[in-house]
Amino acid sequence: MATATRNKKSARRRQLEAAINYPIDWLEERSGLVGAVRYFLFRKVPGDTGWWHTLGSATLTAFLVQAVTGVILAMYYKPDPQNAYQSIQHITNDLTLGWLVRGMHKWGASVFIILMFFHMARVFLFGAYKYPRELNWIIGVTLLAVGMLEGFTGYLLPWDQTAYWATVVGINLNGTAPFLGPFLADFLRGGAEIGNETLSRFYSLHMLLIPGLIFALIGLHLYLVIRLGVSSPPWSREAAGSDYGADEPGINGRSGLTQPVARSGWRRNGGDDA
Amino acid sequence: MATTEEWRRQYAKYKEDVKKRGKSFYPYAMFEDTVMSLVVVSVIIGLAAVWYFTSGADPKTCGSGDSCLLGPRYSDPADPATTNFVPRPDWYFYFLFYLLRIFKWPDSVILGTVGIPTILLIIAFLIPFIDRRMERRLTRRPVAVIGAILVVLSMGVLTYKGATAKEALASEVVQAVPTWAQRQGFANNAEAIAGAKIFASSGCTACHTYLGTGSSNQGAPDLSAEGTKGRNKQFFMQYIRDPSKFGNNVMPKFGFNDQQLSQLAAFLLASKGPK
Ligand code: HEM
Repeated sequence: MATATRNKKSARRRQLEAAINYPIDWLEERSGLVGAVRYFLFRKVPGDTGWWHTLGSATLTAFLVQAVTGVILAMYYKPDPQNAYQSIQHITNDLTLGWLVRGMHKWGASVFIILMFFHMARVFLFGAYKYPRELNWIIGVTLLAVGMLEGFTGYLLPWDQTAYWATVVGINLNGTAPFLGPFLADFLRGGAEIGNETLSRFYSLHMLLIPGLIFALIGLHLYLVIRLGVSSPPWSREAAGSDYGADEPGINGRSGLTQPVARSGWRRNGGDDA
Repeated sequence: MATTEEWRRQYAKYKEDVKKRGKSFYPYAMFEDTVMSLVVVSVIIGLAAVWYFTSGADPKTCGSGDSCLLGPRYSDPADPATTNFVPRPDWYFYFLFYLLRIFKWPDSVILGTVGIPTILLIIAFLIPFIDRRMERRLTRRPVAVIGAILVVLSMGVLTYKGATAKEALASEVVQAVPTWAQRQGFANNAEAIAGAKIFASSGCTACHTYLGTGSSNQGAPDLSAEGTKGRNKQFFMQYIRDPSKFGNNVMPKFGFNDQQLSQLAAFLLASKGPK
């Protein structure tokens, strides 16, 4: 019945569909983007992924919150020692919903860092850094380090006592590093003292260089996630690839899904220790 | 340790399994991702709201007028001259911050500031190349599990210690000055007493200890017997004016004027250790 009606589309309906599809087809023909999105959305992931696997995209969401609120803050924030503190007060106390934007940026930073650690912990505990995902682990560690740098540079911007003195000590600690330390400290300060130059420098690093780097690294990270696929939870009885080591009897020619239940999973005895 | 061939075979099988038995990312996995992301955004908004609505425009009323559950909106404006402020980084640097109390200036402080963080970072980078077995189940990875527990425990303890480390308040430290003068025997030395007051109120005790007051931080030494080290007033004045000239890149330049420097130096010279 249904097929019959579909086959007998009226000319009018066919015209309508062509009109709707036209922009999509136009875009696809010239860019391949529609196919890419389709591939992204309808790609297969292991059947047993669950809530643990949401930590990566949760981290991404936290970062996007930072990007959006950061752009809004940059419209009102004044990056010089004479005005910075007042502009922060103005944003927080006077602007409509300014408290929300600044509050989300302030607290979102912590949430972002926490989620990175949680996501890293899940990847570690799942052994998901193993072949062929070593490179994505390395990109991840870089993201963690760069993410903390982003936090460090942002901390100075309110130009209050907390900000100022934390940065004084932070830069001085950098300065203790052998060889590069003093140069790095001088570069960050932009002179002998923390002042005008320091604030401009931190602002530029915090809203241009480091976020750009994070965006690029996240792009690479996600490219590899999509290209390689995410791994199954290691305890899963249906783990894709079964990952159980070559000594595992269940692996011989059988897919993880068809392994006898009693043999798969973590109740098995034997094997070597790390 | 698995051979390259075994890895490749295993990954080929992974791809085959996913192709045969996998689920489509949309809508299944994406549903969970979306829910989690909504939770994340809600938590961030919640934190912002609690922070804002329990604090006021005046940073000083925190602790009296406002409950400030999540801290003040900002502290007082940055002031390079008055330094009776205890430096403290954002929470995710607390573990580093606390590490610096363990390593004392100047011999081992580099270990705390650069050494340990660098080593941690290198180990983190190398994990996939250290652990090359195919095994992924936790019950079969005792070293990984114990390592993870140790890392989490030590980071947790260091963060907690860094968060709760009591820094002496300048106003409380100043009250100890008469006792210091008496125990050190400089009660008749007006210049040393003036110096002691500057010392107590400028935040020196955020890093240095003195006759049991203050907290040892960033590896700074105890100064109770600093006057017995054969240094003269001139040396102290120059050192405090710019510690980095003496290879100390941790202690800040405080911006004291000559009179203050002279008083501080007199105070340090008079500090011969308790009798
Ligand atoms: C800005 C920070 C980060 C973002 C936005 C991000 C995002 C993601 C996403 C969306 C996934 C897909 C699977 C999942 O969600 O678990 C993923 C997987 C992965 N991430 Fe991250 N990540 C970040 C940081 C890190 C860090 C700090 C590490 C580790 C040091 C890491 C290592 C990995 C690895 C190895 C995978 C593959 C896991 C698998 O195939 O099961 N990522 N990441």
